[in-house]
Amino acid sequence: MATPAICIQNLTKDFAVGMRGMKLRAVEDLCLEVGDNEIFGLLGPNGSGKSTTIKIILGLLEASTGNCEIYGKPSKLVDARRSVGFLPEAPYFYRYLTGRELVRYYARICMVARAEIDAAVDSVIKLVGMTEAADRRVGTYSKGMLQRIGLAQSLVHDPQLVILDEPTAGVDPLGSAAIAEIVRELKRRGKTILLSSHLLAQIEGLCDRVAILHRGKLVREGLVDDLVQEKDAESLVVQGLNDEGRAAVEAEIKAQGGRLARVERPRLSLDAYFLKEVHQREIEHVTQQEGGEEL
Amino acid sequence: MNITDSFTRIRLIAGTTFLEAVRQKFFNSLLLISIALVASSTFFQQFDFGTGELKFITDFGFGALFFFGSILSITATTQLFFNEMENRTALTMLAKPVYKLEFLAGKFLGAHLLMLCFTLVITLVLSGILYWREMVLLERLGNELTSNVSLIRYGDVFLFGFLQWMKFGIIAAFTLFVASFSNTNLYTIVVSFFMLIICQLQYIVRDTYSGMEAGWERILVLGLGLIFPNFQLFNIGDQLVFDVEKAPAVSTVLQITGYGAVYSIAFVLLAQVNFRRREI
Ligand SMILES: Nc1ncnc2c1ncn2[C@@H]1O[C@H](COP(=O)(O)OP(=O)(O)OP(=O)(O)O)[C@@H](O)[C@H]1O
Ligand SMILES: [Mg+2]
Repeated sequence: MATPAICIQNLTKDFAVGMRGMKLRAVEDLCLEVGDNEIFGLLGPNGSGKSTTIKIILGLLEASTGNCEIYGKPSKLVDARRSVGFLPEAPYFYRYLTGRELVRYYARICMVARAEIDAAVDSVIKLVGMTEAADRRVGTYSKGMLQRIGLAQSLVHDPQLVILDEPTAGVDPLGSAAIAEIVRELKRRGKTILLSSHLLAQIEGLCDRVAILHRGKLVREGLVDDLVQEKDAESLVVQGLNDEGRAAVEAEIKAQGGRLARVERPRLSLDAYFLKEVHQREIEHVTQQEGGEEL
Repeated sequence: MNITDSFTRIRLIAGTTFLEAVRQKFFNSLLLISIALVASSTFFQQFDFGTGELKFITDFGFGALFFFGSILSITATTQLFFNEMENRTALTMLAKPVYKLEFLAGKFLGAHLLMLCFTLVITLVLSGILYWREMVLLERLGNELTSNVSLIRYGDVFLFGFLQWMKFGIIAAFTLFVASFSNTNLYTIVVSFFMLIICQLQYIVRDTYSGMEAGWERILVLGLGLIFPNFQLFNIGDQLVFDVEKAPAVSTVLQITGYGAVYSIAFVLLAQVNFRRREI
């Protein structure tokens, strides 16, 4: 089997908060594998540990326990990041550079060959639709523009693994669709993409696999299709049926003269699935806490 | 780890750091104040100090260079480091294949470059003023002195500037060291100023040391003397500019330069020890 793009084993991350060595567990015993050439979605409510997980993958934070590897290299090593592109959440960049200068700067940091820099910079700026604003200073950019230039910055050195923390936050629907299209194009080019988001409708059509985090724990993980299909039910898509016939249709489709066009598995929207999974746990958590306090 | 690539990255990081620094209002206002102060020393001309006037202007200029340079070195380095942390640009940078030491070295060199600019401007202004006053003075004393004498060795003004700059390097480096383990701007600035004062008064420790008997106290004092660089070494302004006989040997200057470089590198490396484990 090929080495997975990202391999996380029993990852736990505690933050020290407060004075008396109080600990906050941001990620708990997380195991994840992101395969090569896969679009993987990391889902979860605010504060569920998505960004923390991403930062550990990138070696920006050190895991309290557990391992994390990128293409078989421990993510603590700088070497592991050689072919990784990263767009942080709510990105912020050197204000006094223009968009083009900024992308160019990061291209040079990533050691893009001199001969290729101009072409690479132009092409990613075009890709994210920032050609018009590329020569304005980053300080003047809107939130969505910052996000786009951030995406350009993360792609300029043609990385094999692209990690996007909420790439569509603050981007208009058209822009989000464009970003989704970029992600699909990256997959076609054989890249691996890990992205986090709360915008489930967008993720649904985009990701191959998703993982849902809740309070740092992995709740569900799997192919999007598997997760949202209800296996014990079938839906009938019926055509050519009048109103009177509809009542009796379940019993006697054929007798009513309707035509059975298609049988398919009905889908819960990913939104609904997500809400169900998270909401239920949140209620459990709250009741548990309240019970604890009363004792 | 490819060394040339490493240097390229350090250079790039230093470049943006410097660019950011010169765009700060603080730097520009401090520069203006210092220039104004150095220039204002000429207002003392009505006291008619004679050749003493030149000495006065020089001391005044050197003092201003040291005073404002130290302030700038500490505050600018702190600001540059925490800007990068608080704006989370460090996050983007360190998610790239960039070693943390490269990042720190880039920050240090950026700040050091800023100090080079500052020092150059101040020494140039000082030299200009000295030249002007010297001309006026020579004209007045023209009949008493043989013509074509220069009262001032301008090279020394720049030599002094250079040595101060080396000292600012140490200051920037230890500020970076303090910043590497502290969480706030203010803490970093306060602690760094304390370190600056200790370094400035280091010679007292050295004097104590030489007067002490062997024992653990002596070792302690020796340790202190080694940890904190001795800034008095850089203050050879008295031997410079006017007195040809007292001029320092080239080897002394080289030694002081080396001393500064070693301490700067050591503090950046120490900063790296903390910074490596720091959560970004
Ligand atoms: N540096 C830190 N120090 C202390 N606690 C932290 C730190 N960073 C994150 N946390 C905590 O860890 C938890 C997970 O945070 P994280 O940023 O990973 O959430 P997230 O899933 O990305 O949320 P969001 O959707 O809002 O971006 C939160 O409770 C947060 O308060
Ligand atoms: Mg987040």
